[in-house]
Amino acid sequence: MSNKTQVGDIDRSLYDFRYDEDESDFLDSGITPEIIAEISKEKNDPDWMREFRLKSLGIYNRTPMVEWGASIEGLDIDNIVTYIRPKSRMNTDWDSVPEDIKNTFEKLGIPQAERESLAGVGAQYDSELVYHNVREEAAQSGVVYTDLESAMHDPKYADIIKSHFMKLVPPTDHKFAALHGAVWSGGSFVYVPKGVKLDIPLQSYFRLNAKGAGQFEHTLIILEENSSLHFIEGCSAPKYYEAGLHAGCVELYVGKGASLRYSTIENWSKNMYNLNTKRALVEEGGKIEWVSGSFGSHVSYLYPMSILNGRGASAEFTGITFAGEGQDLDTGAKIVHNAPETSSYMNTKSISKSGGKSTFRSLVVIGENAVGAKSSVNCESLMLDRQSRSDTIPVIDVRTDKCDVGHEAKIGRISDASIFYLMSRGLSEEDARAMIVRGFADNVSKELPLEYAVEMNNLIKLEMHGSVG
Amino acid sequence: MAETKLNILPVPTFASSGVNFVRRETGEFSLTKIDVAKNDVQTLVQYITDSTETAVTVADNGRLELVQVFDSREKCEAKLGITLGDNASGRLTQVYIGGDTVSEIVTKLVGYGSQFDTKIGYQLDGSDTLDINLVAEHSGRKSISEIAVNGVQNGSSSKTFKGTIDFKNGAVGAVGGEKEDVILMNDKVRSRTVPVILCAEEDVVGNHGATVGRIDEHHIFYMKSRGIPEDKIYEMAARAKLTSVINCIADADAKERIAKALGWEVGGDDDEQ
Repeated sequence: MSNKTQVGDIDRSLYDFRYDEDESDFLDSGITPEIIAEISKEKNDPDWMREFRLKSLGIYNRTPMVEWGASIEGLDIDNIVTYIRPKSRMNTDWDSVPEDIKNTFEKLGIPQAERESLAGVGAQYDSELVYHNVREEAAQSGVVYTDLESAMHDPKYADIIKSHFMKLVPPTDHKFAALHGAVWSGGSFVYVPKGVKLDIPLQSYFRLNAKGAGQFEHTLIILEENSSLHFIEGCSAPKYYEAGLHAGCVELYVGKGASLRYSTIENWSKNMYNLNTKRALVEEGGKIEWVSGSFGSHVSYLYPMSILNGRGASAEFTGITFAGEGQDLDTGAKIVHNAPETSSYMNTKSISKSGGKSTFRSLVVIGENAVGAKSSVNCESLMLDRQSRSDTIPVIDVRTDKCDVGHEAKIGRISDASIFYLMSRGLSEEDARAMIVRGFADNVSKELPLEYAVEMNNLIKLEMHGSVG
Repeated sequence: MAETKLNILPVPTFASSGVNFVRRETGEFSLTKIDVAKNDVQTLVQYITDSTETAVTVADNGRLELVQVFDSREKCEAKLGITLGDNASGRLTQVYIGGDTVSEIVTKLVGYGSQFDTKIGYQLDGSDTLDINLVAEHSGRKSISEIAVNGVQNGSSSKTFKGTIDFKNGAVGAVGGEKEDVILMNDKVRSRTVPVILCAEEDVVGNHGATVGRIDEHHIFYMKSRGIPEDKIYEMAARAKLTSVINCIADADAKERIAKALGWEVGGDDDEQ
């Protein structure tokens, strides 16, 4: 009897540390007008935002749950704490950050990354940003990278925030967009002026330490004409038995000829429901690149959407999903071609093991105006055992004749022929299998920032047992 | 007449995509049952003109060759269910010419080594609408399904093709392939394609692909360099799409009827192959 190749679970020990919280800092769990009013008071919201939150609550209450996708039966919003008062106000000096929070981010390597390879860093702990800093040279070029609340209260940016906040993802979009509109807190505001090209990335890291809580950060990025930016987003949480919720929102405005790469490594713990919404509006000649790694959370709904609104705008989506035991990761992307000569490319990989379920879901719309549009979708799924599940559900909707749209998908296991070929070249069977699985993920990992690519390769660790057949 | 949901996608997706089901007022379906006995071969041609349900069982080592022609150009609903036993095979050829059609095909490959081979061709024009929901459900070991769809859309026609290959747990060694190629010939058309693979078994191979839009520009260039104008190239390509499906039909009467419905000259080169 032969043993099968074993692909290790993701080692979460790096993320599974936590510090006790003072629960007097927690607002009541659930979502009521009183809680919303309390959040507005805590955050000193301007009037328009107070009204926006309450309006969003109304929309939340009358919007039904989605009738498709992974089950979220285990999520009870009445048990989720939507806001936790911060232990400290936002700092631009790392030494002023409270010790336990500082230790958390030190363990996650954030300050080191800032020193070595980033133009700016934001760190959110539970409901609020605790640290935000941007390198002087970036600031001098006019780049704004700050927390959203500060920007909202700054006369220089207040109008920009008001005219862009939840305009791409309105609260009416779906139930959790409405929830976000009501209880959002934290997140980053980035503004890159015309012609400024930032060569090194900005990074925001979101850490949810409290149990039974939600994190609802809002990221708003505006790139003016011919500017460019690479933005990195990382998220993690320690594991609890209580369900946690992440319902963040990302709105990206990519101006004429501008270029934005948005990289995310999502590594929430397996008690988390990750119901996140991300959307980009791309103007003429602009480009959005999404690089997405989904490894954590119990249930995920994540489909970054690109709206190609100007002639020649383009979108690329590169994603990998690794669904292990107890995980139901429903991921993919949406692309709307709304202008002539727009182009899009989607390339995804998914791996399912130990009873994990991975679903790739996509929507490509070629609108009536998208004459000369081109789109290509490629998705591959690898099943590593019989207990797991992998589904692929793409939709292509074409409304003009002058376009070229292609779609390809494959599903299967590691092929015996490939193993045989590699063994004929002198590799052991174990090494051959290891090489194939790493190779399967390679075209995604090479798109990740180096430190994340290394982390991903460590996550997909192979262990061999005896002869494999 | 009662409004019901037809062509329900086995696993729903984004509600905004509008592909999860079709809401339709339907009358009662007339039911036709076909049983193909062990080791038997049956060939059948059906002309579908109104609400029709066909239930087929193919016993072990049996073989079914079924041709369905939808040429009424009227409102029409059809359901087809096929169950295949050990080493049984089902070969289905469907041709849709115009109309307002909702068509569902559910094939259960329950037997070891069962095979399902489908070729579908459609030509839509004017305000024609077509919604096809095809499900190949593999539960038999080493079962094989192959789905090839070729279509041409003109006018302001609207089409949705939902093709699902569903590998159930236990379908060890199963193989499923699905391909849809659509040529669009008018900027008012709407073409929706939903190629789904559901997989609960490790040892399977599933592939699907789709191409939608214009003819490849290299082909156009080659044909133009041979002196053929672009509108003629599209006309030839459209005919070739349908011909590849019609040529799979052995029944001469059916081929003639289809050719007439398409307005083709009967007895041409295409029809002699």
